[in-house]
Amino acid sequence: MNALIEHRRRITAGILRVSIALCLGLLLIGVGIFLLRGDERTPANPSGSLFDILGAVLHRGEALHAGAFLVAGLLVLLLTPVARLVAGIYVSARARDGLYVLIGLVVLALVVAGLLIGQAGG
Amino acid sequence: MSPLLTVLVVLSGGVAAGVIGSLTGLGGGLVIVPLLTLVLHMPVPEAVGVSLFGVIATSTGAAPRFVGTGLANVRVGLFLQMAASSGALLGALVSHRVPAHFLFLIFGAVMLYSAVMSFIPTASDVTGAAVSSPFAGRLRLASRYQQDGRWVEYRVTGVVPAFGVMIGAGFLSALLGIGSGVFKVLAMDKLMRLPFKVSTATSNFMIGMTAATSAGYYLSHGDIPPLTAGAVILGVIVGAYVGGHLMKKLSSRLLRRVFAVVLSLVALQMLLKGFGL
Repeated sequence: MNALIEHRRRITAGILRVSIALCLGLLLIGVGIFLLRGDERTPANPSGSLFDILGAVLHRGEALHAGAFLVAGLLVLLLTPVARLVAGIYVSARARDGLYVLIGLVVLALVVAGLLIGQAGG
Repeated sequence: MSPLLTVLVVLSGGVAAGVIGSLTGLGGGLVIVPLLTLVLHMPVPEAVGVSLFGVIATSTGAAPRFVGTGLANVRVGLFLQMAASSGALLGALVSHRVPAHFLFLIFGAVMLYSAVMSFIPTASDVTGAAVSSPFAGRLRLASRYQQDGRWVEYRVTGVVPAFGVMIGAGFLSALLGIGSGVFKVLAMDKLMRLPFKVSTATSNFMIGMTAATSAGYYLSHGDIPPLTAGAVILGVIVGAYVGGHLMKKLSSRLLRRVFAVVLSLVALQMLLKGFGL
């Protein structure tokens, strides 16, 4: 059990460290590009499905648009609690704890539902 | 206001939210939403959406403090998260249908409640409930944590009423752009009789996930201005770091009370705006 707890701790700590560093880096680049270019136009609000938003990030990122880096940073931050949740489900599955795998999947479904309903304009 | 000035104002607000959040334990959303609506006159849904990203940043930034301590009860967190995320989804769904003045009124009331709670001494319950309720037993919620080198076992009760409170906490979080930590801790501490430290750590575990449920909605709905959100998040992360260092030098009890007074004043301003005055 102690090995499992230690395994969970390492996974969670790793996810948190990497995602905060990545998010900070992307946001700093985004704000930096915006300020350096002296652009008076603020980046537009992203909308649509996660794939639409990701597609726009990749497309605009090639042209070094500030908005692409900022939205990428937001996505990393948004997905951090989701990654922690997925890690929790994985650890529960390894411990053969079916009840908490199911509960974790219900929570995951609710988070995904938020994205889907928002894109539908609900 | 020029975009550059907006970035600077929002960045400073984010730093203030991060510092205050880490020093007082109260969520940064209580600073960010009034700043964006009252000072920058941003539409309420955008301010709420941006604030939710600030809440995720606060929760993620504070999380390493709790990871590995064994304080967060992951089973309790996951079970209650079903309620909090359901409430958050419901809150996000109705958010665009609730008139702005009504949101100001609710926000003002929640701020006043948080301010009052800051004056009430926090519980120092270490062992929690004497026996687990049958439902908590079936869910295997009882656990233990380490304190001063020894393991403290605790039992859990009041799962159903706490589940109900979590739906409300999630609903308010999505509607107002706050972490609702004050309600989450209250439900776990008073209803489930969890040790106070466990309640705080488990609440932190839940806040990010609750905010992510509704932040996803606001993002895909087109309510997140990336520049403002980016500046808020940068500010919050820097502020939380600074706050963590200041915490060792300043009396957090005194700061909490000073912040409660400021909170009350801003709450009054929100209420006045809600009443159209």
